[in-house]
Amino acid sequence: MVKLRKVLLNLSAFALICTLLVLSGCGGGGQSKTLYIFNWTYYTPDSVIQKFEKEYDVKVVYDTFASNEEMFAKLKAGGANYDIIFPSGDYVSIMIKEGMLEKIDKSKLKNFANIDPQVLELCDFDPGNQYSVPYYMGAAGVAVNKTKVQTYDRSWSIFARKDLGNHMIMLDDMREVMGDALKYLGYSVNTTDQKQIDEARDLINNVWKPNLLKFDAEAFAKSFASGEVWVAQGYAESIFAEVDKANWNTVDFFIPKEGGPSYVDSMVILKGSKNKDLALKFIDFIHRPEIYAEFCDYFGFPATANVPARALKKGESWYRPEDLLNCELKEDVGADLEKYNAAWQTIRVGK
Amino acid sequence: MKKQVGLLYSLPQILWLLVFFAAPLCIIIVYSFLKKGLYGGVEPQFSLEAYTALANPNILLVTWRTLKISIIATALTLLIALPCGYSIARSKNQAARLFLVIVPFWTNFLVRIYAWIAILGNEGFLNDILRALHLTTESVQFLYNQTAVILVLVYMYLPYAILPLFSTIDKFDFTLLDAARDLGASRFQSYVRVLLPNIKSGLMTAGLFTFVPIFGAYAVPLLIGGKDSYMLGNIIADQLTKTRNWPLASSISMTVTILTTGLVFLIAMRKPREQKQVFDADPAFLQAVPAGKR
Repeated sequence: MVKLRKVLLNLSAFALICTLLVLSGCGGGGQSKTLYIFNWTYYTPDSVIQKFEKEYDVKVVYDTFASNEEMFAKLKAGGANYDIIFPSGDYVSIMIKEGMLEKIDKSKLKNFANIDPQVLELCDFDPGNQYSVPYYMGAAGVAVNKTKVQTYDRSWSIFARKDLGNHMIMLDDMREVMGDALKYLGYSVNTTDQKQIDEARDLINNVWKPNLLKFDAEAFAKSFASGEVWVAQGYAESIFAEVDKANWNTVDFFIPKEGGPSYVDSMVILKGSKNKDLALKFIDFIHRPEIYAEFCDYFGFPATANVPARALKKGESWYRPEDLLNCELKEDVGADLEKYNAAWQTIRVGK
Repeated sequence: MKKQVGLLYSLPQILWLLVFFAAPLCIIIVYSFLKKGLYGGVEPQFSLEAYTALANPNILLVTWRTLKISIIATALTLLIALPCGYSIARSKNQAARLFLVIVPFWTNFLVRIYAWIAILGNEGFLNDILRALHLTTESVQFLYNQTAVILVLVYMYLPYAILPLFSTIDKFDFTLLDAARDLGASRFQSYVRVLLPNIKSGLMTAGLFTFVPIFGAYAVPLLIGGKDSYMLGNIIADQLTKTRNWPLASSISMTVTILTTGLVFLIAMRKPREQKQVFDADPAFLQAVPAGKR
């Protein structure tokens, strides 16, 4: 026992010294202001953040979340003082209802005029964009490893293929996966009809799930990049951030022909933000055509939200804006979310 | 006078327990009896809904699965930790060996989970080796099932079982084993009938240290598990972050807390009898009592 205590004591002393060394190393640094951003994983390239930091002589702290729900729960639990957040439309409307957002003074946004009017028109979640500025419009799709899967239909029906069993993965995201099944069955992704929801649940449980390796929103892109998974439903930006550039030509990313749930992710300023002006500057900075083009090029996105950026884009995109035509924007379904919860629970829990 | 000073000494511990244990627990208890808010949070209105919802067959199934995984993982951990603790206790350089047990803690928990993914994956090291040895051509699916979850849980909590077992075995008087052999016990018998009863308290502690955290496991089933490995920890997190049902998350947490503390109490109640057994085997005691009275 004495020896154990001695070892532990030595170890803790060592740890303490290490901590002190690290702390003393990162003291200093008298930067004037810090902008706190809470954003999706893989959504704003570091180069863009660095340019902003340099131009305005500020520091940006960039924290990430993997789903709207996670972001919302963290804010609800309190204690987080972020300035800018990037929620999807359904969550923008929830956050407006809950009085969590600051109104945006559009007169200070010179580049607001660059935003595609068609995208603005879709912003039913915040009519007139009083609280939110669109960042990007897109949809989750399907990535296929072409070296392992040669022939396939560009449809959600790919998840019904038994020969790809245990080599396919879908997001651990209720609205996304349920939305895919609803669209495949020809219903709305925002349906509140119990029968349609049940039908989608049964399709996933009985036809898709037996072929899936797992539901995963955290590491699906890593599993795809390692070759473990051949077909992954997910976001293009996550997939291509993990796949080696040399192997990009082996990946086919498509939005299934039936369409799926699409999203308009927006930038909002959280009530109580201490850096409102700086936050507005950041939003305006993003919509500079050259910056927006840099962001889209980095992820292989089409420049969906910013019109002048389309001409400045250098790289190719993983999908075209037209591919989103059959998609449908996810909306908040309010108390009817319970119906989705119950359906999703049977999907996640069962064998 | 003396008493007051004692209270002062324990003040930091009392404060720590109040702020980081009692207060959060009270919040969870209160939340579990409230109505759920539409967008997360709670409405200040009494409701038993969170507890009636526990009878949901899905939640019962997950509770059963969690219990099963925890019991298997704990049993395996103890089975491996026992010889480890024994060999460390009997070794000449205990400090160095203990040090080796503690070394993995220097690497972050999540990094170690991802390391297991790199080992067990279809394109991982283990499959590479199997293919190189021509034992298999197709990849063997090691990851994303309950077996993988149990394996990684055993790996994660092994040190928590080795350390208490070591410290109990270290105090054990090994001459008793020789005595048992002298009296005709086989090697195996001497371990089972003399060593094991004497280190029972260490086994109990090690069992608790592994069972309790495994019962609340979240990251391992999330990252290593597949469709069949959803555990109570995952349900709680999902209710809180995804389905926005905070009262249900609280009532499930309460169930987990009650089940695990219940277990601790059960074991604590058994303590007196154990100590008697330890005493029984003590040679000094045996000598002190005349043979006829034994």
